[in-house]
Amino acid sequence: MKVLLVGDGSREHAIAEALARSVKEPKIYALMHLINPGIAKVCEQSYGGYRRGSPIDPIQVANYAEELNVDFVFIGPEEPLFHGVADEVERRGIGCIGAHRAVAEVEMSKAYMRRLMWKYEIPGRLRFKSFKNVEDAIAYISEYAESLAIKPARQAGGKGVKVIADVQVYLSKEKREVKAKHAERVVKEHMRGYVDIEDRVLLEEKVEGPEYTLQCFSDGETILPMPLVQDNKHAYEDDLGPETGGMGSICGKGLILPFITMEEYSRSVEIVKKMVEAVQKETGELYRGVIAGQMMLTDKWGPTIIEMYSRFGQPEGENILPLLETDMVEICEAIIERKLSKVKLEFREKATVVKCIAPLGYPDRRDLARGHPIVVDEEAIARRGGKLFWSSVDTVDGMLVTGGSRACEIYAEADSIEEASEIAERCIPYVKLLDGWRLFHRSDIGTPRLLEKRRVLAELVREIYQYREKKGILGRTIDWIPGRGKIEL
Amino acid sequence: MSGILGLYAFDELWSVSRFVYYGLMGLQHRGQEYSSITTWMDGNLYTKTSKGLVEDGFRESSISKLKGYVGCGCVSTGKELEQPITASKNGLTLILYVSGGLIDADFHGLARLLLDEIGKSDIEQAGLSILERFKGGYSFVCITSDGRMLAARDSLGIKPLCVGGLGFDLAVLASESSALDVIGADLSRDIEPGEVFVIEKFDVRRGITNSGRRAYCSFEYVYYARPDSIINCIHVYDVRRRIGHILSEMDPVEADVVIGVPETAIPFAMAYSRTAGIPVEMGFYRTGRSMRTAIRPTELERLMGVQLKLNPIKAAIRGRKVVLIDDSVVRGTTLRNTVYLLRRKGAKEVHVRIGSPAIKARCPYGTAVPPEDELIGRALTSEEIAEVIGADSFSYLPVDRLVEAIGLRKDSLCLGCFTGVYPDLGGG
Repeated sequence: MKVLLVGDGSREHAIAEALARSVKEPKIYALMHLINPGIAKVCEQSYGGYRRGSPIDPIQVANYAEELNVDFVFIGPEEPLFHGVADEVERRGIGCIGAHRAVAEVEMSKAYMRRLMWKYEIPGRLRFKSFKNVEDAIAYISEYAESLAIKPARQAGGKGVKVIADVQVYLSKEKREVKAKHAERVVKEHMRGYVDIEDRVLLEEKVEGPEYTLQCFSDGETILPMPLVQDNKHAYEDDLGPETGGMGSICGKGLILPFITMEEYSRSVEIVKKMVEAVQKETGELYRGVIAGQMMLTDKWGPTIIEMYSRFGQPEGENILPLLETDMVEICEAIIERKLSKVKLEFREKATVVKCIAPLGYPDRRDLARGHPIVVDEEAIARRGGKLFWSSVDTVDGMLVTGGSRACEIYAEADSIEEASEIAERCIPYVKLLDGWRLFHRSDIGTPRLLEKRRVLAELVREIYQYREKKGILGRTIDWIPGRGKIEL
Repeated sequence: MSGILGLYAFDELWSVSRFVYYGLMGLQHRGQEYSSITTWMDGNLYTKTSKGLVEDGFRESSISKLKGYVGCGCVSTGKELEQPITASKNGLTLILYVSGGLIDADFHGLARLLLDEIGKSDIEQAGLSILERFKGGYSFVCITSDGRMLAARDSLGIKPLCVGGLGFDLAVLASESSALDVIGADLSRDIEPGEVFVIEKFDVRRGITNSGRRAYCSFEYVYYARPDSIINCIHVYDVRRRIGHILSEMDPVEADVVIGVPETAIPFAMAYSRTAGIPVEMGFYRTGRSMRTAIRPTELERLMGVQLKLNPIKAAIRGRKVVLIDDSVVRGTTLRNTVYLLRRKGAKEVHVRIGSPAIKARCPYGTAVPPEDELIGRALTSEEIAEVIGADSFSYLPVDRLVEAIGLRKDSLCLGCFTGVYPDLGGG
């Protein structure tokens, strides 16, 4: 059996290992933009192989798959999906794990996703406005002082999101200026080159609460949800600093996190199911692959959609793929044959922590974070109970150099999140740059203090959304405008 | 005495001077004589220092002239505009704001040495060596002309300092969490005793030098801090409530009404009232704006402050036995004036209760306590004080009960102004 994996991040490293654990002993091949040594190793050990290429090029991927005569293709990241790689692979008669271009729109266009939620009245939807030109967005921002999330209308590698609480009127002037300037930057920088959607900027009502990610397999009929994972987006400890693609993530023992209830989990699953149904109805296509809700427990709705992923999260996928007991190849075949309802998903009962390690410069100056030689003592890490996932690194003439994003991740599992975090911490010193440039990570992820902080926040928003539910105003925005009267937005 | 603030925006789009301005207003209670703000942008430092309250010292035009996405500042007591403290060497300038006091050294020396060390090693190592070298109770925040921010808290944690953030955009360091509340930032945690906190363009780092010993200033809880602040993970308001509760149990009196001296003693009075079952009333009304009389520099100003601040409400006290609660007594002169005012408006009895122990000694850590021969609590017994101020009875909160109200171990507090024993000096 042969499988072609598309992508080169830590997520794909974890997917490759999950595939390699299959009793069917597939030969694993990979198409990568940067040569990830972790994936390369899995490919070699499974008697497969890899090639440097462009994962977002449908023809290249499909040709490689045909050339190898693989049984199926697994697409890891989102951009190949947005470029129609899954469509092309299936057009050639090869099975594919990864959403078609049309249904991947739930992730690609944040404006489309929100419109879909309102059209199908899916719980957990937020008020939003999308703009096709920056002038209209700025005019809106200047008129209304509101707490907003300003986002590129398209998924732009997780970059370009700014969240501004505009509550204190005495600081509103500065905040409006920053909001307007950021909206301009979104259009000029983050959306530059993306011509596949018309919307440019999205303004969304700001909500607050603990975030979590719910990842699921979908074959178009059945949704199989996985354990919840929480990512930590701030670059630095104590939840300080700019937003990143994620500096590390935690997964509790079992399905839920210590601060999310089973009922909230079930509601979150319902929301993701409704999203899949809605996008299938809208496009007439099946959703096959991985889908994830990047969610937040908010006082407005309880479980609320912040964004949708058409793939595993990174690093969230790395928290649960190592725990997967069900044969990954069996799952993939069931997705292709639309027999996912017959699969029983099983995970080992462990808490896991993933800590990302990034060179200084990440996230805002990747040019500075790029090109530093890196070495890892994987044996030492293994002896301390951890495990390495390679992420943004390239292999150049047999040397490993950083790629500009988070270079690698330490994964650890234990009976509690706190213990797993301690194990990961003990492994961190074995990752080093050879040129004296500095690496950073967040030692606070998975510590009792941070978990307690999340629990307190969850408790606070839970009290409010439960009160709203009792009052029958869950998800509603009711206001009174003097002189105009009561309105509902 | 001062309050300090540092603010760093990770996104250069921000202009932070107005955030510093409002943050300093949230620390105004720590110093009302002058305030100062410095901002940094593209290698340039912009400083403005003004007398009086923050609100009076900075007009709209001066706020907008302070450019940049990095800023810090202070509010301070003292007639002279002593802050910021600056040092320059080899083209690098350091702007430092401090709260507290050093033993056998001054902050100019500290700033010069810090700059030297920064030139020699990692900035957090430089900060750590300063903390190890300079004894005292202090916290400081500084900006370098190459745009780095460094904040530190003395190795015993005598002076408070905390850190928080506003979304993905700002990191905020402040003497008290009240400053964070005012600008809408969330408190992350206290900076630990002996901790150095560094913010650079692409990194936030910390270092720590600490023997595990702590000596948090207990006077913060009694008087200095705002009641809405959280210091060393303890809500100041909770401590003041417990103090009121203890006072009511200690020396019970038959009285008709409880009155707190505005504004610090109000929570004491409310808790006293609840425990004793005696109604609390608003006993005074203020003329002019809110002022912290105890930290005014001259006797005349303090008396003027008290007389303006405390006009007794006759209807609340006439013909009644009054429990009057105040936070502290330094010289006793303003308290005597207050008791006299109550008597003149017809109070039948006045029983004075103080929410802190007798102040008997100086503070080597920057709190302006008058010379020891001016301290009424050092010179006179409670009975004598009652006579002098014209009260029917007078009592303090004993030191051990203050420790109990704060809820920490005695050896992790500085009680120097009450006991004359200082954490890094021994007996005095």
